[in-house]
Amino acid sequence: MAALSAEVPARLLRTARALWGCRPRRGLGQDAATAGGEKAAKPSFTDEAVQNLLYKMTGLNLQKVFRPVKKELKPPTYKLMTEAQLKEATRKAIEEAKKRLIMPPVLDEREPIDDVLAEDKVLEGTETTKYIFTDLTYSVPHRERFIVVREPNGVLRKATWEERDRMIQIFFPQEGRRVIPPVLFKDEHLGTVFQQDRHEDVLNMCIAQFEPDSADYIRVHHRTYDDIEKHAKYDLLRSTRHFGGMVWYLVNRKKTDGLLIDMINRDLLDDAMSLITLYHMLHPECPSAKEAKEGKLQGVDLIKAFAKTESQKEGYIQLALQAYEEAMATSTAS
Amino acid sequence: GSRLLKGYRGGHVVIRFARGGCTNRPFYRIVAAHSRRARDGKYLEQLGCLDPLPNSRGEKVAGLNLERLRHWLGCGAQLSPPAEKLLGLAGFLPLHPMTVTGAERLRRRRAQEAVAQPADG
Repeated sequence: MAALSAEVPARLLRTARALWGCRPRRGLGQDAATAGGEKAAKPSFTDEAVQNLLYKMTGLNLQKVFRPVKKELKPPTYKLMTEAQLKEATRKAIEEAKKRLIMPPVLDEREPIDDVLAEDKVLEGTETTKYIFTDLTYSVPHRERFIVVREPNGVLRKATWEERDRMIQIFFPQEGRRVIPPVLFKDEHLGTVFQQDRHEDVLNMCIAQFEPDSADYIRVHHRTYDDIEKHAKYDLLRSTRHFGGMVWYLVNRKKTDGLLIDMINRDLLDDAMSLITLYHMLHPECPSAKEAKEGKLQGVDLIKAFAKTESQKEGYIQLALQAYEEAMATSTAS
Repeated sequence: GSRLLKGYRGGHVVIRFARGGCTNRPFYRIVAAHSRRARDGKYLEQLGCLDPLPNSRGEKVAGLNLERLRHWLGCGAQLSPPAEKLLGLAGFLPLHPMTVTGAERLRRRRAQEAVAQPADG
């Protein structure tokens, strides 16, 4: 299961622009408006501030981003460069890495389609199977394509999302996508893949196979994030484009403790602070957010306040902070 | 002379099915062609396809390029009866009267058989 080539980010940019541009969506985990009306200031996944925080946390490990992908065996090429050329090549590599780290869209699940166009009782009993008609006009975007089903009982209805995806893949095949989704994405088989630590490959395949607002896409992503959170394998996704989505999911469900401990253990205090800032942006009415705003806390104090009020694993966070401070003390002393 | 560069006297554009596929495995292409051409011969444009055998999900898949279909209908193309019936089923045209007649005939025949069977058995 090789990771996908760099064609994917370009396609995702187009999908992302098409989807985010025409349908501003609110983030995951936010229920419908309460009786008091929705808060206009609730940040969504696509806000600039949120995206900046998530991007900072993702990290930019060039070695991991440009890890060799399983391709045809070719002997390596060596280039002789001056210092200036090497700097230029590194700069270009960083730009390319930024393109590969564009986060895939996070959208709400799409509403099921059930719309009946015509009912012709006369046709009942004539056919034994249904007909699916797809409009093959080339210039129509896939979201607006007409795909209708004539049932054996004479009802002419719009096709469901799964039927739509299948028909569009049959007539307008996309690379990396199969007509019938692979069996891998069923819940019982995901466990096997997770044991082999191949979360990133699963997520790449999922992005290629499903639409971002389909139920399967959201289910596979949530399963992956839950498994990572259960076994604390956050580093698998660091410096990939899935990290932002994972952080968004965890912060919305307030399961950030493991991630926080992992960041402190790896001495990534800036990331820890970005995480807590994001948390406060999304849950402004929680006690630690109010404390932080009043006291204008920074750095380790912010983490300590957060640990005291919001987290379940307060002890672990305190231990990790202590270890970090001791390490800092010994390194500055020596 | 060449079979491809034929000129005909009279004839008109029809939208009909051209059979492809293999023995006992038909596959129809919905095609705009001259009426005097062979059924599977040179056509003006392919407007879609129909697979008459149901797939693993129990559906008969058909694709129709509605934009080009509208263009040819606007140019004055005629439709063959099976093509008209298919478009009627699709909802692009109203239901063909023969579809309705066929359905009623089938129902009447089934009713007669149902009456005849208990009378015999």
